[in-house]
Amino acid sequence: MPLLHCVQEKEGLISPETEKDLAEYLSVPVVHVHEVVSFYHLFHQKKIGQCHFSVCQTTACALRGAEDVIEYIQERLKIKPGEVTPDGKFSFGIVECLGACELAPMMQCNKEYKGFLDKKKIDELISLNSHPERSEGS
Amino acid sequence: MPNLTIDGKQIEVPAGTTIIQAADKLGIPIPRYCYHPALPVSGNCRICMVEVEKQPKLQIACYTPVADGMVVKTNSPKVLEVRKTVLEFLLVNHPVDCPVCDQAGECKLQDYYMEHGQYDSRLSDVKVKKEKKAFSIGPTVMLDQERCILCTRCVRYADTITKTHEFGVFSRGDHSQLDVYPGKQLDNNYSGNVVDICPVGALTDTDFRFKCRVWYLAQTKSVCPGCSMGCNITVEWDKSRPHQHKKARVMRLKPRHNPEVNDYWICDKGRYNYHFIDENRIQHPQLNNDLISWEQAIDTVVQVLKPLKDLKRTNRIGVLASAQLTNEDLFVIRKFFKETLNGAHLDFKVSEKPGDSDDFLMKADKNPNTAGAAQIIQVSTDAAQIVQKARAGEIDLLYVFGHDLAALYGKEALYQISKNVKLFVFQGSNVNGSCSYAHLNLPSSVYAEKAGTFTNCQQKVQRIWPAFLPMAEAKADWEILSLISAKLGAPINYKDAQEIFKDIAATISPFSEMTYDKISDKGMVLKNLSS
Amino acid sequence: MEKIVTRHFGQENSHHLDNYRQDNGYEAARKALTQMTPAQVIDEVKKSNLRGLGGAGFPTGTKWSFIPQANPKPKYLVINGDEGEPGTFKDKYIFEQDPHALLEGIIITCYAIGSHKAYIYIRGEYIKSLERVQAAVDEAYKANFLGKGIMGTGFDIDVVVHPGAGAYICGEETALLESLEGKKGFPRLKPPFPAVIGLFGCPTVINNVETIACVPPIINKGAEWYAKLGCEKNGGNRLFCVSGHVNKPGVYELPNGTTLREIIYDHAGGIPNGRKLKAVIPGGISAPILTPDQLDVKMDFDSLKAIGSMAGSGGIIVMDDTTDMVWAAMVAARFFAHESCGQCSPCREGSGWVYRNVKKLYHGQAREHDLKNLPGIVNNIGGNTICAFGDAVSMSVGSYVSKFRSEFEAKIQSTVILSEAKDLKVS
Repeated sequence: MPLLHCVQEKEGLISPETEKDLAEYLSVPVVHVHEVVSFYHLFHQKKIGQCHFSVCQTTACALRGAEDVIEYIQERLKIKPGEVTPDGKFSFGIVECLGACELAPMMQCNKEYKGFLDKKKIDELISLNSHPERSEGS
Repeated sequence: MPNLTIDGKQIEVPAGTTIIQAADKLGIPIPRYCYHPALPVSGNCRICMVEVEKQPKLQIACYTPVADGMVVKTNSPKVLEVRKTVLEFLLVNHPVDCPVCDQAGECKLQDYYMEHGQYDSRLSDVKVKKEKKAFSIGPTVMLDQERCILCTRCVRYADTITKTHEFGVFSRGDHSQLDVYPGKQLDNNYSGNVVDICPVGALTDTDFRFKCRVWYLAQTKSVCPGCSMGCNITVEWDKSRPHQHKKARVMRLKPRHNPEVNDYWICDKGRYNYHFIDENRIQHPQLNNDLISWEQAIDTVVQVLKPLKDLKRTNRIGVLASAQLTNEDLFVIRKFFKETLNGAHLDFKVSEKPGDSDDFLMKADKNPNTAGAAQIIQVSTDAAQIVQKARAGEIDLLYVFGHDLAALYGKEALYQISKNVKLFVFQGSNVNGSCSYAHLNLPSSVYAEKAGTFTNCQQKVQRIWPAFLPMAEAKADWEILSLISAKLGAPINYKDAQEIFKDIAATISPFSEMTYDKISDKGMVLKNLSS
Repeated sequence: MEKIVTRHFGQENSHHLDNYRQDNGYEAARKALTQMTPAQVIDEVKKSNLRGLGGAGFPTGTKWSFIPQANPKPKYLVINGDEGEPGTFKDKYIFEQDPHALLEGIIITCYAIGSHKAYIYIRGEYIKSLERVQAAVDEAYKANFLGKGIMGTGFDIDVVVHPGAGAYICGEETALLESLEGKKGFPRLKPPFPAVIGLFGCPTVINNVETIACVPPIINKGAEWYAKLGCEKNGGNRLFCVSGHVNKPGVYELPNGTTLREIIYDHAGGIPNGRKLKAVIPGGISAPILTPDQLDVKMDFDSLKAIGSMAGSGGIIVMDDTTDMVWAAMVAARFFAHESCGQCSPCREGSGWVYRNVKKLYHGQAREHDLKNLPGIVNNIGGNTICAFGDAVSMSVGSYVSKFRSEFEAKIQSTVILSEAKDLKVS
């Protein structure tokens, strides 16, 4: 798994070539590498947006408006969960508890946790990340 | 050794035995999907749960080792309830494809469902759809992901038996999908076995697809004639509807469990090598271009043989026997051509290139009875020489058992033989290159049509049983020789193959303590073999 | 009340080694390594009544004593930092704000069980935690608190930080081991238990982050002191995580045995907008839900078990009276359906089925027989699975149905059933 994270950090996704290379390097059948990649949600087999929102929908966040957050993000970005915007800048997915219930409703924006989300905050995050050279998904 | 009680029956088993193994020994049926005796335990289907006294929760029988004094109940109300529960869960997403599924009639979901009375469905919901339905994953196997109950038998088989690692379970939860690695195919020498071990219709045989409903099939025990391994098989043939399948009788072959020979497996070559039983058969005796009767055929042979016998010119007889024949066939060949017609040139090793082999079941020797032939036939002249003599006109009667001499020696050689030999007899089951050059073609039975024995590479004598009568006018090889010998005035008469075998046991010492009963369906090893 | 695990929280640069050393940092480890035998350390932890704070509440000292010392195989310590139980976020704070406390606890624990290698498994989404813990590990190696012959004693110890990758089931200890070994997080069949056959087939202790962070104070100040802080059989404080409909969501360190009412109203500021409490999850989503009449329960493992719930991970989620309990059950069921590993049939098929069933109920598409069947289906999952995930589905979702039955029934009434409309002619 640390190897998979490493490659994904560099390449943005896990490709079949990566799977084959890792299988050879670790002397593990490639089918079992693919099993691992498909099992864990943090490994992507398709390219995601430069800025990826993982919105939490579990109980604490749900109680504090996660459904509205999801709806608003869909409205603003005009994509559904699992899709990427045509310009490749944004994508979002719905996930289960991220361990930040005290910040509910929250989401993970690339590497960072962003909480107490409302329309204003979401607008800010989207505009901040529309120009990735300005920020590192801060 | 621990002593335990299952459903009131006591048994003593070696330490480390699991409950399910002990129950199997006692003949007490415990349902199972993921458990298979040849594969590592997975414990994921949960249907084998049983009640163990003093344990608050039910335990899975496939994984729990027995303990001394353990008391197990496999049919208490709690257990029966849990089985219903597990069945219900398995059927939540299982497409009830029975009307179009080949597994119907031998499906463990169906069987346990009927046994455990899970009749009323509580499901009023959509089923999870999976990606691949009726999808070919290789030349011999089809996959239906929706029917799969994720028992992972195929994954464990590919990991531990063939070690080819084709299968995996991808994603998770009820979106888990069994598949081969994307882009890879299930294409090894033993791919057909996954169809046998799949308890449902997720992995099905392309060769058998939609061919015949299994309840029309009769089963006959036999041994694969494909190589010297002699894997134990069951010939499955359509007993009920002869008008279907354009008169083909055999629908498929299945491996039969023999822990000392092939365990639960068979190679793909052996599995799919049954079409010759019904296709391309020699059906009637034929003299040159004319179909003749058996009486006429026998006469034709005797006409040439009698003078050779009477004038003691048996050295003008050449016989190419075969390690494809049964011990019984070979014994009669020995009696006829070695004793009655003493002086005839006789060999069974006609030069063939060794075939594919591996370190599992496939052997390079593609004959099922080389070891038996070696015991029964004393070679006087080797085959190449016999063929040479035949070409040179030194042979009056050339008797060939099944070999495709055209493929081995070329058309030119066969043309010469045809010209220079007085009577070239080809006795075989299927048409091959020899037939058009032979003067007399005699139809013989295939292995599935006769009783007899083969001796495999482990020196194990194994029985074959006849599934059905010989096709058209074919007869067992030894029967044909019996008829010829009778017409010749030196009859070799046997009632049946068993009687021949008794004689073999009385004559040839490595066979000496064997009888058909003792050999049964597991085989017996030849004894005291000197080099 | 004396702060133990949270004593450094909120201080600037609390995660740096220098600051940790200023407060007796690593002195407990030195004491254990130089003045105590491993058996004495285990004994001390046993006497302290420290119990596993990841959710199971198993007595920690007892767990350590299961390691067969005579076994020649190497022993491993694995820190379970997968923190996936909804409602729980405490370990994140320990990782980010006091990682050295964890490392010191690791040293003492390894010494006690005879291990020389520890793995810290941190859920993959906790990027900051991964960075902070790795930095702390690097600092510790530099200062010879980790590595060969640490602190001048002969004791060798190595620590490896390992990321998860987004699977709640890897919080189950044997699934975590599978994940560490590079495989899917499929829980193992038990027995054998990890203490005998664990990581790489070797004896292994798996403990929660918070549990291990409690160990250095126990060694420093003694088991008696720690045991007195909590309640009978459940010593010390605990980090309670409060979230949902409360004014001050966050982590609160309080003694084991504090009542739920006190935690919610006196510490977490009660319920906003003047609303009333309708239901509360006491110990992470797997814990059966509680009703307002149960608020005076003492928050310790035994008291919560006695009222049919569990202390679990200490994740308290509060629901006010605007909450639709069928909706809440659906959210819980959806969580379980998404996180089921899929290995065994009751959970794999059952968790998805339960979710779809409750979803139908919530959207008013269900019939009476759907509700009638639901408790039976839910109950059939637990007790028949390879791991406790199945039990969690049963207990958790089952509790919504049994305690708020009327709301579920109301959903049925609102479904329009055409076939019962008497003036419809069927052609």
